[in-house]
Amino acid sequence: MSSNDQAVQYKVPLVSEAAPAGPMLAGLALRMLFDAPVKSLGTLLGVVVSVFLMAQQASLLTGILGRVTSFVTSTGVDVWVTSLATESTDATDTLPASKVGAAAGTPGVAWAAPIVQGVGRVTRPDGVREFVKVLGVEAPRHAGLPRRLASGTAPGALRGPGRILINLKDRPAFAGAEPGDRIEIEGQATTVAGFFEGMDPHSPYYYVFANLDDARALTGFPQDRVTFVAVGAAPGERLDELRARLQDRLPGALVKTSAELSAMEERYFLVRTPVGLVFGMGSLIAAIIGAAIVAVTLYSTAIDRARDYGTLKAIGARRRDLLWLLLTQAWIFAAAGYLVGMAGFFLVRHLMPALPLVAPPTLVLGVAAAALVSCTLASLAAIRRVLQLDAALVFRS
Amino acid sequence: MPSTTTSLIALQGRGVGKIFGAGDLAARVLQPTDLEVRRGEVLVIMGPSGSGKTTLLSILGLVLTPTEGEVLVEGRSVAAASADELAALRRDRLGFVFQQFNLLPSLSALENTVVPLLLAGRRRSERVERATRALELVGMADKRDAKPRLLSGGQQQRVAIARALVNDASVLLCDEPTASLDGTTGRAVLASLRSLAEGGRAVVIVTHDERVLAIADRLVQVVDGRVIPDAGLARTGSARADHGAASLRLEVNRRTP
Repeated sequence: MSSNDQAVQYKVPLVSEAAPAGPMLAGLALRMLFDAPVKSLGTLLGVVVSVFLMAQQASLLTGILGRVTSFVTSTGVDVWVTSLATESTDATDTLPASKVGAAAGTPGVAWAAPIVQGVGRVTRPDGVREFVKVLGVEAPRHAGLPRRLASGTAPGALRGPGRILINLKDRPAFAGAEPGDRIEIEGQATTVAGFFEGMDPHSPYYYVFANLDDARALTGFPQDRVTFVAVGAAPGERLDELRARLQDRLPGALVKTSAELSAMEERYFLVRTPVGLVFGMGSLIAAIIGAAIVAVTLYSTAIDRARDYGTLKAIGARRRDLLWLLLTQAWIFAAAGYLVGMAGFFLVRHLMPALPLVAPPTLVLGVAAAALVSCTLASLAAIRRVLQLDAALVFRS
Repeated sequence: MPSTTTSLIALQGRGVGKIFGAGDLAARVLQPTDLEVRRGEVLVIMGPSGSGKTTLLSILGLVLTPTEGEVLVEGRSVAAASADELAALRRDRLGFVFQQFNLLPSLSALENTVVPLLLAGRRRSERVERATRALELVGMADKRDAKPRLLSGGQQQRVAIARALVNDASVLLCDEPTASLDGTTGRAVLASLRSLAEGGRAVVIVTHDERVLAIADRLVQVVDGRVIPDAGLARTGSARADHGAASLRLEVNRRTP
C-alpha cells in the first residue's frame, strides 16, 4: 500500500477551534518573570532608570525651550514684524519706524505698536554690574509687555519718565526691590514701578520693560528705528492670511506669527547652542541604555529558560503564542518601569521646583511611547532566539 | 475517511527516517521505518544511548520533521501541515511526558496543568475544571496549589502526566518517564500510564528502564538507527498484574527490518 493512497492530507480538523490564546497568556508571561526574580528586578530597575532619565532630560529641554520662547509667547501679540536679518529675538536687527504705520494700515490689522530692544548695564545693589535687556513698549497699549503682571502692578505704571517693570523672579537679585526703589541702568536712574510675571527667559540678561522713549534713552536706540512691530489681528482674522498680507505689504521685513517666531526661536536655540544636543542625546542615550538592559536580560533569560520555552513549544505553543508571551513580558517591564520611573520624575519635580522641569501631556505620553518602543525592540533578540529554539531539545536530558 | 482499521491507529510513521547535516557531514540517525501506535496499547521503545530512539520519538511527536517518510495522526498525514498547525496538533492530540518533568517552576500544579488549555484559548472555568479532573486522575488533586519545588519527583511526574492529558490527548509520548524516579515512585507512575492506555489512549515510552516492560504491550528496539519492530515481548506470569520487571523475560527479535 503506498503512502499516498491512504493518507488523507492534514486539513486542521483534528485541532480545536479555540479563541486566540494571546491575551490569555498575559498572566503566564507575568508569572514566568517571577521564575528569575533577581534578573527581573534588574531589568525593571534598568527600565526605571531609563524612563526617569528620558523624562528628566526631555522635560529639562522642554522647560528650557519654554523659557527661550517665553518673551514671544507671553505677550499676546498675534503677528511680529521684524528685520529680515532676524534669527531669533536675541539675534536681530532694526526696522525703520515707518513700518509701524504700514503694518497698521494693512487690512485685518486691529492695531500695530512698536517695540524697541536694547542692552544696557545695570548696577545691582551689591555693586555687581550685569547686562540687562531693556524692552521699550508704547503707551497706551504697551504691546509686548507680558500679559501677567504681579499683583498691584498695572500697565499704566510705565506712564511717566524713568519707570521700569522688572521680572518678579529677578527681584531677589535686586535686594527684594519694592515699587519706588531706584535702579541705575547705564548710569541713568530709573524707578521700579512694578513687576511682571509669566516670562522666564533662558538668558543671561535681566529683562526690564520701560516706555518707548526711556528704553531708547537708556540703550542709545535710534529714534527712527524699532526692533519689532507688534501686530494684533482684527477679530475673526486668520493669522496665516494676515501674516501673508503683511508680508506682501512689508517685503523688506520678516513677518511671523507668534507660533512661527517661537518655532524659530527654538530652532535657533537648538542649533546655535549645545543644549539641544546635550539633552536630546541624554534622552536618546537613556532610551538606548534602557533598551540594552532589557535586551540583555530578556535574551539571557531566554537562554537560561530554553528548556521551558522548548517545553511550551513541544506541548503546542505556536509561534504567535510565544511572540505574545515575550512581547507581553517586554510590555510588563515597560509599563512597570514607566510607572515607577515617572513617579520618581514627578517626585524630583515636586522637590526641586527651581528646575525648569515641565511635564506637558505630550512629554508624559512621549516617554510612555519611548519606553514601549524601546522595550519592544529590546525583546526582538529574545523572540528570535526562542522562535528558533528546537523543541526537540526537551527530549535531551 | 480513514478505515476502521486505521481508526484504531492513533499515530503512524510511514517510512520515516532522519539524516542530520548535509553533504559530507550528513549523518543518518534513523533508517526509514514503519511504525504504528494503536489506541489502548503501551508501546515501549528501547535501545542503547545514541541509537536513534529519541529521534524516533521526536518525529512521532511532531517536533522533528523527518527527512523522508511521513507521520499520520489518526490516519491523516501531517506532511503538509505548517509549523503552527503542527503545534496545534501537538497541543490537541498529543501529550508529552519528559524525563525531567519540565514543569514551569513559578506555576502551581494546577497552573502547570492548565498551560495546554491556555494555549488552546479555553475559557477560565473550563480550564480549571479540566485541569482539576486531570489532577484527580493522577491522584494529585490535593497538591493542586503546590509549586513544583515542593513536590517529590514522582509527584512532579504525575503533574506532568496530568498536563499531558488535560487536552484529552489520544497519544502520550513519554521520554524516560521513570529515569528520575525511585523504584516505588516509578512503579506508581507506570501504573498511571498503564491505566491511561486501558482507558483507550496510546502510550509510547522511550526508556532504558526495563521496569517499564511490565506495562508494555509491544516492544520496539532501536539499534544503530535501525528500528526492530515488535521486538518480541514474552511474559511469564501475570506481568501486567504486578507491573514487576523481574517477572518478565524479554526476547529481542534480531531480524533486520
